[in-house]
Amino acid sequence: MDVFGALANPVRRQVLEALRDGPLAAGELAGRFALSRPAVSEHLAVLRTAGLVTEEPRGRHRYYHLAADPLAEVHDWLHPFERYWRSRLRALRDFVEEDL
Amino acid sequence: MSSIECDQFIARPPSVVWRALTEPDLMASWWARGDIKPVVGHRFTLDMGEWGMQPCEVLEVEPEKLLRYTFAEGALDTTITWRLEPEGQGTRLFLVHDGFAPDSMPLRRMGGGWPKVLAHLARTTEADRG
Repeated sequence: MDVFGALANPVRRQVLEALRDGPLAAGELAGRFALSRPAVSEHLAVLRTAGLVTEEPRGRHRYYHLAADPLAEVHDWLHPFERYWRSRLRALRDFVEEDL
Repeated sequence: MSSIECDQFIARPPSVVWRALTEPDLMASWWARGDIKPVVGHRFTLDMGEWGMQPCEVLEVEPEKLLRYTFAEGALDTTITWRLEPEGQGTRLFLVHDGFAPDSMPLRRMGGGWPKVLAHLARTTEADRG
């Protein structure tokens, strides 16, 4: 699954948000979202496939780190909207300053 | 999760900028035609040209300060928020276009659609302005 598919699920988006503050073990994530361990593992597997998290074994636990690079794809997708709005805002400024 | 934020200084007081955001004839001059009204719950459509008529609903109104409405329900399912702050003799206008939730729409499919149209629109409008 690619980055868009991975982000299409609200739990996975929350997991990514939780990982923004630092790596967490799978068990800690399960506790935060009141989800079963298997459910969390499944979401983490999807995020890993999409390259959005990396896994680090520490002793008996596996820690998950946020890997933000693939999010650039989402940013690229939004970029045309940003350009659009910048041009609209300039048009608004010109209109207001010249005609109102 | 994903939002666009822009701001623009306009050398006119917030009361004037507010009119350009809330009066249909004025809004049509710089953006799109639509029967907008600064009244919470008011539903209107914006004529987005090649994208068709987009349904919207006013969510929040603070006259001359803040205007928030849904944008393109059923297509983009996003929210547009305009915030006006006095700055010197003019206004600093802040725009937030957010709610680009990847679960509301298959983004990839749109990837080839809206952005291309947007890019085209941006080029056209920039050319118009010289």
